[in-house]
Amino acid sequence: MDFAIEDSVEQSAFREEVRAWLDENMPDGMEFPVDPGDLTLEQYQLRRELGRRLGAQGWLYPNMPTEYGGGDLPVERVVILHEEMGRAGLTLPPYYDAGGRMAAPTILVWGSKEHKNRFLPEICKGLVRTWQLLSEPGAGSDLAGIKMTAIRDGDHYVVNGQKIYVGSSHGADQSWTIVVTDPNGDRHKNLSWLMIPMDLPGITVTPLNLLTAGGEGGSGCGHKNTVFFDDVRVPAENLVGGENNGWKVATTHLEVEHGGAGRLGDRQVIQDFIDYAKSEQDGYAPLESEAAREALVDLYIESEVTRLFGIRNYWMSQTGQPRSYEGSQFSLRRKLSGLDIAEKMLEIAGPYALTNDATYGPLNGALELYGREAITALHPGATTDIQRVIMSRRIGIGRQDREKAGALR
Amino acid sequence: MDLSLTETQKLIQDSTRDVVRNSFAKDVLLSLDDRPVPMTDTLWREAAELGWMGMAIPEAYGGTGNSLTDVAVLYEELGRGPVPGAFFSSGVLGALTVMNTATEAQKSAWLPEIATGDRIMALAITEKRYGWSPNHVAMEAKLVDGSYVLNGTKLFVHDAASATDLLVMARTETGPSLLRVDAKAPGVAIRVLPGFLSGVTEVTFENVSGELFGTEGAAWSGFDTALRSAIPILCAYKVGACQALFELSVEYSRERTQFGQPIGKFQRVQDHIIHIVNYLDAARWPTYEALWKLDTGQDAASSVHMAKALASDGYLRACDYTHEVHAGIGVMREYGLTLHTKMSRSLYHCLGAPKHHRKRMEHALGLVPA
Repeated sequence: MDFAIEDSVEQSAFREEVRAWLDENMPDGMEFPVDPGDLTLEQYQLRRELGRRLGAQGWLYPNMPTEYGGGDLPVERVVILHEEMGRAGLTLPPYYDAGGRMAAPTILVWGSKEHKNRFLPEICKGLVRTWQLLSEPGAGSDLAGIKMTAIRDGDHYVVNGQKIYVGSSHGADQSWTIVVTDPNGDRHKNLSWLMIPMDLPGITVTPLNLLTAGGEGGSGCGHKNTVFFDDVRVPAENLVGGENNGWKVATTHLEVEHGGAGRLGDRQVIQDFIDYAKSEQDGYAPLESEAAREALVDLYIESEVTRLFGIRNYWMSQTGQPRSYEGSQFSLRRKLSGLDIAEKMLEIAGPYALTNDATYGPLNGALELYGREAITALHPGATTDIQRVIMSRRIGIGRQDREKAGALR
Repeated sequence: MDLSLTETQKLIQDSTRDVVRNSFAKDVLLSLDDRPVPMTDTLWREAAELGWMGMAIPEAYGGTGNSLTDVAVLYEELGRGPVPGAFFSSGVLGALTVMNTATEAQKSAWLPEIATGDRIMALAITEKRYGWSPNHVAMEAKLVDGSYVLNGTKLFVHDAASATDLLVMARTETGPSLLRVDAKAPGVAIRVLPGFLSGVTEVTFENVSGELFGTEGAAWSGFDTALRSAIPILCAYKVGACQALFELSVEYSRERTQFGQPIGKFQRVQDHIIHIVNYLDAARWPTYEALWKLDTGQDAASSVHMAKALASDGYLRACDYTHEVHAGIGVMREYGLTLHTKMSRSLYHCLGAPKHHRKRMEHALGLVPA
């Protein structure tokens, strides 16, 4: 086996290239607020600018095919891009683009040639920002129980309903949305996916006041929203994957969202916390006590296992290994170990962990934020309970017919 | 990045799985479990002919010089049994200890015989004041007329009853030294301990002279190096065991019906099995990452300690959850689950319990001033 994420001569040359490119292309004036909820419009626009520059290189969606604006890069290079963005305090894409991250691989599997040509290059080149709209007030864990309708009327679908816990600050160009296209149809046979331009009449976006934005969006997520649709007319050609075939399409979307595609990086705050704990803080040494040292080892082990699950899933998805329960296992683990880690941080850093005060808050407030995010992160992309249900089906506990993992290209 | 097994490793995996299925089937394992020494000469010879004991030994010393990951793949399959016996004690821990402590002449003399299975090594390290650090070694070896003489007791020694030779850690003038003792020598008494453990013994020495291995007073650092390579292989054994427990539980969840449906339909039963697979994978990937680091000459200290903490804990917990799934039938000896349960306890402390390794991680991570 080879767990090395880089190292070959060729790869370190690529890393150098990426670093130099980022130095060159990082827009002037970029700031790095600790809480992504603080991202100003100007800062968001600078991240979009960086996104377009990355997109022009095929580096924004480096694992997507080049014919659709991706980079078609091998796994090692994709990893390097993620790492170097992480080193710069960013994610890839450098702004919230969850709709793009989920829609792109889904459209690649389920979209027509026309859909691919129309939607994928814009996403991959960073020309549009895409939200994903799934949850509704009455349908969280029970996604198939959504109520928002899209009724065919001539060459349009007329959309009515409400989505919640979605999106980010500063709006979106389009939303990748699951809707009911057959209100009288059987459960699981009545759903479809629409790409909805967000400038259509009848769409109202209202911000929500949550503990943190949370979610899987990455840096620059901002706040979550609820979105109302009142007789919104969406062109029929924006329906992807076939009318009433949406539950099948959802399996690919959810496979990505539930961690089947794996995740690399995102350990910076852990490393920063370990460094913080090891140093002396104005006469207060967090690791003076044996209990604190033990807690830090526990924290480290938690984060290491999560890291390794992410690497495993990434390798599996990038090399086309047959997948089963691993996506949901990773998601479950990230959620639960997030709580464990937050508790250990509290134990080690004491009440300092709870403040983002300019004088007393460790890591410029990143520690305080981690504690809130660990809680908020329990629901996006399905709760821990739902992840367990998916794992059970995939493993085939109590059933001979194992549910198949969603198709990734 | 490539987390797949090599062609060689797949071959080792397939062939070992066949051997375990055919030669160490459940009825064989149950009958071995009834014996004070859980192995027969025939089975030991069969394994020796397959080269199991030579894998960790370089070709120059009569082995096949496989990578540690290769060896781990073999032990993962043995763990599925769980196959008992001194394979690990002699072929891995014994061989690696000789490699890392002995003189050139001693390596040439002993390693080829370990590789063929003709010599069976057991390591006698721990004592009544139990622990896996040099300051837990209290037993002395006194120099009398030019030879080292051992008196005292080693406790919780694995596989001593099937060994031809014991490597005994004892204190000499200048520090911990390693002494080889003929297991059948007069004055050596080996007693298999009864209870919820397998192949674990008390060994007493009464005026037994031993052959000094390597440098007097400096054995611990070489032994510690050997431990670092041996531990993840023991972890792989536990990973294989957890894998078997996982598969057993899934099968049972489908077959066993209560309240008119397979018990696996109940989410509380599902949760037990999800715990098992989570413990399994949390042990698997750190183990193989540690092996990769060792095979490629990287600093593996914290990875090794982490793997052992997770694998020891994981095997024990996976057994517990498997019992929750199985209820009554799980504790019937003939069902076979208790072989694992006993093994998970037997191996929990072997080469250091989770707490010990978490403690060592404090140093590896630089949390404690050196």
